[in-house]
Amino acid sequence: MNEKKKVTPAVIIEEFILFIFTIVILSPVLYMLLGAFKKRSDIVKHPFQLTKEMFILENFPKAVKNMNFWKALTYTAIITVVSLLIVIIVSSIAGFAIARAKGRLFSAFYGATVSIMVIPFISCLIPCIAQATRLNIYNTLWGCIAYEAAWNIPMAVFLYTGFMRALPGELQDAAYIDGCSTFKVYSTVFLPLLAPVTATTAIRCGVGMWNDYILAKCMLNHVKYPTLMVAIYAFFGDRVNEYGLAFAGIILASLPMIIIYIALQKYFIKGIVAGAVKG
Amino acid sequence: MNRKKLVGLERTHTRTCRIMLIPAFILCFAFVIIPLIDVVRYSFTDWDGIQPQMAFVGFENYRNLPQMEGFKDMLVATFTFAIGMTVITILVSFITALALDKKGRGRMPRNLVRALWFIPSLLSGTVVGILWHIMYNYHNGVVNTVLKTVGLKSVNWLETYVVTNIAIIVAAAWVQIGMCIIIFMAGLQGISADIYEAATIDGATDRQQLWSITVPMMAPSITINVITTTIGAFKAYELPYFISKGMPGYTTLLLTGRISFYAFKAGKYGYGSALAVILVLIIALFSLLELLILRKREDIYG
Repeated sequence: MNEKKKVTPAVIIEEFILFIFTIVILSPVLYMLLGAFKKRSDIVKHPFQLTKEMFILENFPKAVKNMNFWKALTYTAIITVVSLLIVIIVSSIAGFAIARAKGRLFSAFYGATVSIMVIPFISCLIPCIAQATRLNIYNTLWGCIAYEAAWNIPMAVFLYTGFMRALPGELQDAAYIDGCSTFKVYSTVFLPLLAPVTATTAIRCGVGMWNDYILAKCMLNHVKYPTLMVAIYAFFGDRVNEYGLAFAGIILASLPMIIIYIALQKYFIKGIVAGAVKG
Repeated sequence: MNRKKLVGLERTHTRTCRIMLIPAFILCFAFVIIPLIDVVRYSFTDWDGIQPQMAFVGFENYRNLPQMEGFKDMLVATFTFAIGMTVITILVSFITALALDKKGRGRMPRNLVRALWFIPSLLSGTVVGILWHIMYNYHNGVVNTVLKTVGLKSVNWLETYVVTNIAIIVAAAWVQIGMCIIIFMAGLQGISADIYEAATIDGATDRQQLWSITVPMMAPSITINVITTTIGAFKAYELPYFISKGMPGYTTLLLTGRISFYAFKAGKYGYGSALAVILVLIIALFSLLELLILRKREDIYG
């Protein structure tokens, strides 16, 4: 306890370096945040200042209009929420089975899942589009959701399995002795304990879905079903001149994930600890 | 409860568990495994992606890969990106995690710092690509403005092969560091303070403690961070592509950028599929190799 109050020069230097590092890491975010409220010429001349004379708000309404923000937000939210629900339900059930049953089938399934995790989506992009066309789900929301969910299941199964393996086995034995069925053990004993790992899954997979560019770009028509990232690149990606407008668009599109992260941070870190480090 | 009943219970349990795997299996099989088989199939054809018919051409696509314009540049850029990003990310995040972990010392609130460092990890590759593309602009970018302010010369970030590759690596590491710090800090919290106390009593210096206690005890988190970062680097598409746009020429396109180029601009699906198969093989080999090396170290130190 005494150590807590001791402030030696070494500690001060360490704190100072950490502080500088944090500023350096955050400076691009700061630059963008300030830039969203400035004209282009002010962004170029005074990248890290924001005075009363520079301050403008019109970047935001302009960005909303240019990138068709509300429509893109709606479609992105639909795709993310529905895919995430599918991923969470399907993977928590599979993770429970792998963690709580013995047999070669289950370890093989787990091994296959982990191996699938290393496959980049872009390598299967061409056949995915061909397949979607064959199945008549090309340029439909369900098509996008199906691929989004399927490609995120391996990571989620990995997280859930790791988390449930770390839970004590007595939990399950007690429930069996009371005469519960396996599914009931899952739904009444394990499900309530899964909040941390569900938060981890929601953030890791959800952020990936929200931020996805390539699948939405290739699978959906961007006029009929625009998503945020495709809209951002379409309007601010190539030869962008209005920096402030691009920054405003980026902030609007990224803010939902940052807010959700801050809200779930406590659980997220608990889930990471159990799922990734021990699993 | 008698034995017979227990065995029966166990059997129903296993049966139910098997059924519980089915939904995940169906989704992954239909939308991941089948496309994966297809990409191997297409890589042996000359399909252009439009006409329904395709001819079997054997290994011709693979044989033609080395003749691609800038093939060597692409491979060098891809491997430099993966290795460079991993080294920078692991070093910076490990040191930062150590600094953040010192329990009770210092004045800055740890959770806040950790949350702030994580913000870049929440941004999409598209967003980071656009942002850093603006920041690296020769005349108007903030990077050169800062360099000029401290008295250095402007750097042409996005127009030469070597510098552009470095620029991409820095931006990618910026994104990944936050995630790695969280995992490292979780690992550090798992090391009991007693071990350090005992070592201090035995007269071990801070440096000795770092190399013989902290690093070996952190082996599992190091393994997971190294592997996820390399895999992420090989998978990255939007971030490197949107920063460099492949400039100069197409030389800084990474493997992933080339795949999309052949699929969408050049209309060579067969050729692009052969590249995609190579990418999967590289990632699989690389992560297996890392796993073997790092797991071995874990075993040595227990």
